[in-house]
Amino acid sequence: MTTREQILGKIEPLAESKHPGAFQGASEEFDFRASLTVVGARVVTPSELEEIFPGKRRYDKTLDGLSLAEIEVLEIDGEFGVAENGAIWLSEEALPHRVAPFICQHLVINIKKIVPHMHAAYEELGKVSSGFGLFLSGPSKTADIEQSLVIGAHGARSLTVVIHA
Amino acid sequence: MLSHAEASENFIADADRTDWHDETLWFVREKRDKVSKVLPEWEALREHASQIKDHTLANLGEYLQAFEAKAQANGITVHWATDAAEHNAIVHDIIAAQGSKILVKSKSMLTEECHLNDYLASKGIEVVDTDLGERIVQFRNEAPSHIVLPAIHLKKEDVGETFHQFLGTPKGNKDPQFLTEAARQHLRGHFLASEVAITGVNFAVAETGEFVVCTNEGNADMGAHLAKVHIACMGIEKIIPKRSDLASFLRLLARSATGQLITTYTSHFHQSREGQEIHIVLLDNGRTRQLADPKYKNSLKCIRCAACFNTCPVYRRSGGHSYHQPVAGPIGSILAPNIDKKANVDLPFASTLCGSCTNVCPVKINIHEQLWFWRQDLMEAGLAPVGKTIGMKLMAFVLSNPVIYRIGGSLMRRFAGILNTRLNPWYKQREMPVAPKESFQEWYNKR
Amino acid sequence: MRVALFVPCYIDQFYPQVAVASLELLEKLGCDVVVPTDQTCCGQPMANSGFASSTEGCDANFSQNFEGFDYIVGPSGSCVLHVKEHHPSEKIRNSVYEICEFLTDVLKVSSLNAHFPHRVGLHQSCHGQRGLHLSSMSERNEKHFSKIEDLLALVGGIEVVLPVRVDECCGFGGTFCVTEEAVSVKMGQDRIKEHNANAVSYIVGVDTSCLMHMEGILRRQGSKVQVKHIVEILNHA
Repeated sequence: MTTREQILGKIEPLAESKHPGAFQGASEEFDFRASLTVVGARVVTPSELEEIFPGKRRYDKTLDGLSLAEIEVLEIDGEFGVAENGAIWLSEEALPHRVAPFICQHLVINIKKIVPHMHAAYEELGKVSSGFGLFLSGPSKTADIEQSLVIGAHGARSLTVVIHA
Repeated sequence: MLSHAEASENFIADADRTDWHDETLWFVREKRDKVSKVLPEWEALREHASQIKDHTLANLGEYLQAFEAKAQANGITVHWATDAAEHNAIVHDIIAAQGSKILVKSKSMLTEECHLNDYLASKGIEVVDTDLGERIVQFRNEAPSHIVLPAIHLKKEDVGETFHQFLGTPKGNKDPQFLTEAARQHLRGHFLASEVAITGVNFAVAETGEFVVCTNEGNADMGAHLAKVHIACMGIEKIIPKRSDLASFLRLLARSATGQLITTYTSHFHQSREGQEIHIVLLDNGRTRQLADPKYKNSLKCIRCAACFNTCPVYRRSGGHSYHQPVAGPIGSILAPNIDKKANVDLPFASTLCGSCTNVCPVKINIHEQLWFWRQDLMEAGLAPVGKTIGMKLMAFVLSNPVIYRIGGSLMRRFAGILNTRLNPWYKQREMPVAPKESFQEWYNKR
Repeated sequence: MRVALFVPCYIDQFYPQVAVASLELLEKLGCDVVVPTDQTCCGQPMANSGFASSTEGCDANFSQNFEGFDYIVGPSGSCVLHVKEHHPSEKIRNSVYEICEFLTDVLKVSSLNAHFPHRVGLHQSCHGQRGLHLSSMSERNEKHFSKIEDLLALVGGIEVVLPVRVDECCGFGGTFCVTEEAVSVKMGQDRIKEHNANAVSYIVGVDTSCLMHMEGILRRQGSKVQVKHIVEILNHA
């Protein structure tokens, strides 16, 4: 008997316990911009963006993640933002490489649509189409040293968002 | 190995440091309260997540098979491991096939449970833990003391010392910003060079075969997206049925853990990159046994947020190392005895059963009730310390016999002074209650 | 209303004044109070130590003393909770009340002839709060309510203050108080520190076990702060 069979063999179905279905009654009163501030991101206009990060921000798709290691600023297009927590869904298609939003020093994301909360977010996503995607909320951070919040752990040191909605 | 009580006594001997540890973690509890109380649907969310987990556990076999089929269809290799030894061997084989001698690993309590790092070291393979807190304790050769905040027991001076020793940062520098930058540069080198990356799994979705990894630092992704081989290690209880279920869990997880709205990165791995392999290892290690016991099955709902640690007045004043095994705190105390009853017999007793843990648990695990059940099971298994069984049986005899109880009570009050000695643990730091002349019953009989 | 008074063993032996106050208060409120004289202990000390299998004798004695009563009232949240959750007889489980619960939910007390013109710190004993729902819990997203505070509000002259951590455990925990002595005492000392910061003269709670533990620390510290069970205050002329 394989391990697989062994393990599955030890699992008995238990007394019926229904799946509760979709969550009802989620709050809708969230402010995306306020959430972005809370998570440490800033919102700018397209012209402000030019001033803050002049120069190259877009990069072609590549199979070699390491080639992106020296990027200072990366600009990408997010699919939508989530108002309750400032998260933005990024799918693989929008990235030069999966590692791109992590390996750059400063990240810029454009979004055109905002949904109120995570339940709406997954409805928006529907069934999976990408090989990889993520919710990204703010710059990378840690509080592992005596609970002092430090922005810029391993991922991007800053997140700048341009809202085209 | 010190028992929880012995280790706690040592911990508390430094009262100031204990106060600092207690206040730091209470502050995290307060942050959790703040964000949970502004969501009117908070309690309903807990109930929703709890029901999803209940349903999943009731149909776990089915969901595991569904997940496996979908994941395989997406090109992910699925492995099964009965126990820690098998898990470690599987992981080792994958690494050996790649020929790597050093690799990066992001936070995975499961790999702590299996002592994976030590096993791989014995095979000549170095694991670099990339979560900042874990890297710090790795340098210090310590275990993490908290499943979300691994280095919470350390002050910045301690971290400064460690980084001075291992990273060459200036002696005496304890600035968290500076030290984090040093770690960033140091670990970046490892990310760029590593061909193999190990991550944990926060959630695995049966409907789609994808798995989700949550971090604030971005270390799991920095490792996985640059590596040729990504090994994801998960307990079989991490399965959830549908993609849309993730919404409730993700709304609860970070808020419960740190008072954040969501972790910075919530990465959904569905298929590997071109030219990459993804392996997922499904581990049992006693989980099927826990599942089969109605008293303890609910402990498998755990999403490893550590809200129970932060609220526990005992954990805050004794520290994670006092629990002498990888997952400390209240949840650790109901999971560990399932793995080794004898070694962990003290843990369910490291509690006043105050019930705060059960209230903060995002998936409504009845932690304090399971602590009580474990106490019964462990004593019934004959693991009581010498004298306790006799003492308890004597107490039960006296207390079920009204006449003997009254005589015993009166004698105890008469000679209570005997107990005013340091041999009496109560008396170490407390006065004994003053013995009244009459018991209530004696007073009542004269009324 | 015919009520049986449940006198927890350590109150019978060490804090008889709490049972006296309970008896007097219930009588003042018009109850016909019966005190079964062969009662001993509810069995909680053994059960919480992992020896629930040894409480048959205590359970049987409890049944013998209290069978036939619709209202079994006791001044102890933890003891009452233990009986409610673990006693083998369903009738007994459904008939047992902690005294604040009884005063609020059954007698529906809305006024008291009591005076206690002092500043008191409220200690929310855990089992009464989280087990019996005597008040709302700080961890939950729920509207504030407190049967305890409502009862104390009926006492003339009293000033009730809450510590910063409104419902953190005092550290007694049954045999925990001696098996994990260091943590137990530290927890108690921390509670007291918060009450001291509020400059209270008394600490009041619904469980004498909590109070006994804190009193032991207070007296060792040479403190002037005293402990009182809530019934002693509700019954105070």
